[in-house]
Amino acid sequence: MKRVYPKEENCMNCRLCEVACIVEHSDSKDPLGAYFVEGMGFNSAAGEGIIDPADALEAGKPRPLNRISVSLRGYSSISTNCRHCSDASCVLACKNGSLYYDDAGRVRLREDKCVGCWMCLMACEFGAITRNPAAKNVPKVRKNGINHHCDLCPERSSPACVMVCPTGALVYEERL
Amino acid sequence: MYYEEPGARESLGLRTPKHEDLFHSHPEYKVERDDAKCIRCLCCVRQCPYETTFYDPMRNVVYDVHSNCVNCKRCEVMCPTQAIEIKKWGCGFRENHHWKFRDYGAAYKQSDTGAVVLTGLGNDNPYMSYFDRMVLDASQVTNPSIDPLREPMELRTYIGRKMENLEDFGKESFQEYPNILAEVPIAFAPMSFGAISLNFQKGMAAAAQELGTFFNTGEGGLHEDLLPYKDNAIVQVASGRFGVSKRYLMNSAACEIKIGQGAKPGIGGHLPGEKVTAEISKTRMIPEGSDAISPAPQHDIYSIEDLRLLIYAIKEATEYTRPVSVKIAAVHNVAAIASGIVRAGADIIVVDGFRGGTGAAPKIIRDHVGIPLEVALAAVDERLRREKIRHMASIIATGGIRSSADVVKAIALGADVVYIGTAAMLSAGCTLCQQCHRGKCAWGITTNRPDLLARLPVEMAKERAINLVKGWSREVKEMLGLMGLNSIESLRGNRLKLRGVGLTKLELETLGIRQAGV
Repeated sequence: MKRVYPKEENCMNCRLCEVACIVEHSDSKDPLGAYFVEGMGFNSAAGEGIIDPADALEAGKPRPLNRISVSLRGYSSISTNCRHCSDASCVLACKNGSLYYDDAGRVRLREDKCVGCWMCLMACEFGAITRNPAAKNVPKVRKNGINHHCDLCPERSSPACVMVCPTGALVYEERL
Repeated sequence: MYYEEPGARESLGLRTPKHEDLFHSHPEYKVERDDAKCIRCLCCVRQCPYETTFYDPMRNVVYDVHSNCVNCKRCEVMCPTQAIEIKKWGCGFRENHHWKFRDYGAAYKQSDTGAVVLTGLGNDNPYMSYFDRMVLDASQVTNPSIDPLREPMELRTYIGRKMENLEDFGKESFQEYPNILAEVPIAFAPMSFGAISLNFQKGMAAAAQELGTFFNTGEGGLHEDLLPYKDNAIVQVASGRFGVSKRYLMNSAACEIKIGQGAKPGIGGHLPGEKVTAEISKTRMIPEGSDAISPAPQHDIYSIEDLRLLIYAIKEATEYTRPVSVKIAAVHNVAAIASGIVRAGADIIVVDGFRGGTGAAPKIIRDHVGIPLEVALAAVDERLRREKIRHMASIIATGGIRSSADVVKAIALGADVVYIGTAAMLSAGCTLCQQCHRGKCAWGITTNRPDLLARLPVEMAKERAINLVKGWSREVKEMLGLMGLNSIESLRGNRLKLRGVGLTKLELETLGIRQAGV
């Protein structure tokens, strides 16, 4: 199965992969639309700082969250996302089957089933799972959000983060 | 600079800036950010190595210290919404055709610090370019042109001393000299590891290997990662003698003695101690953190006889298997100097014109010393031909080669091969911002800071350098074809293919070309 692999020596901490991820998972597929129309991540006109995505949800204007993130320590940075393990501990830990393998072997989420118990988040060895309070089509009772991880951009031949990386620090390929 | 530690400047022997200096920190460029488009991804903040762009989380604004901006264009290119535009600051000073920013900007800086103003890259003053005043010939009715897409076109050339005559060929008395084969007449110019990043040097080395041409180590030694490319390396022996050993000389295609550099003829080099990292110290064979100083002259060369000793010392060390090259800057009397160098035993002469680049040089020297490559090249070729010693050395031209047309013109003026330095950096993304000496190139070319190095992966540097040289080669083939030639060696020194436009009679004579229309 093809996965996204990072190359640490090529990563320069520009975080365009995060931007690309947000844009790809937005409705408008446009950075300005994703950040300004859909997102309430910040509101400079009102003089507010970056506000919590949960508050954005309350306001009814959730912006997609990035499913890939860059970690930085000293001079070295690396971009990481869900590894889509073939024996994923998150899938084992999920108590109601909302995490599952699809036909291609990707770890996917049934958004309507996830209850936000965070067993997947605890089980993941890579810290690749985050919570997404801004997910669409989710009842408001799950205020803490639901599982959020890389979906490998099912609509694209190659994930958006890989396409946008200026230095080829992310590669989408089959490895044993 | 006004917020730095007290005493930091005194330790360098510089005067601490006082409040009145603030009046002199005029910004040259302005970073204009369209706030309606800024999504606060902070890519520009992370990309700027020159401490220009910052983010204030309290006010949620991205703001700029405009006087630090050097117009390297990194933020402009990286911004995902194209919200950034770098502009010239304001209207500038009152119009003055005598005092330009390059004059008063430097004067202010020196009044602040009392130091020599350093800079990078090549001479940017508006001296006349002879390349722009020369045009190429083309075949019409009386002589057919050649279509390079349908007929063979040869760009390969041999570099090194050629035999005296062919009559003795096959006999015992026949003496053959070591030559190196370049598949294209374009090689990469000497740029040392330390001045440029290892990634860029590796990229050039890999590109040279794939193209069948050469890269030059510069004076900084041959890093062990470059050993797989040693058959395409020209190794340099400069006045600092960094990294020179028998092993170094043998890990090469040719050896080069550097006497001068076009950007700074007659002066040496200085790599500051803080830039001498573990890798550089290993490659240059100097202690970590110590200044790498190249003296102005080679301290064992004070005459042409001394040069002969060094050339033959290198030839002995390499057991006469490598051609030895001597690189000189284009200066007055360059023809006589070149003649002496050839007679001293050099197999290759490199002539570096005053537009040639540098990793760091005093601005005043870069801008005012040396002569144009075109006239120097013409003079050297003419002199060597007249003295019947042209076959004893190949000529490599460098210093301000901007396009394939410049390559063709330089070869028609008498060069065998050209070196490209700045053009090779352009292939890696250089925006000619002239900050090479500061060691924090935003494009990862002239830096060794690990986070900036990641901006220029080796594969990218290699691929783009190959593309550039391949593109140029195709254009050179087209130009050869339209002149009715099918080999680059038929063009060498073929000045009938050049005509001057708007040059004086004396300039035409110096270049050895005829006026257009004649």
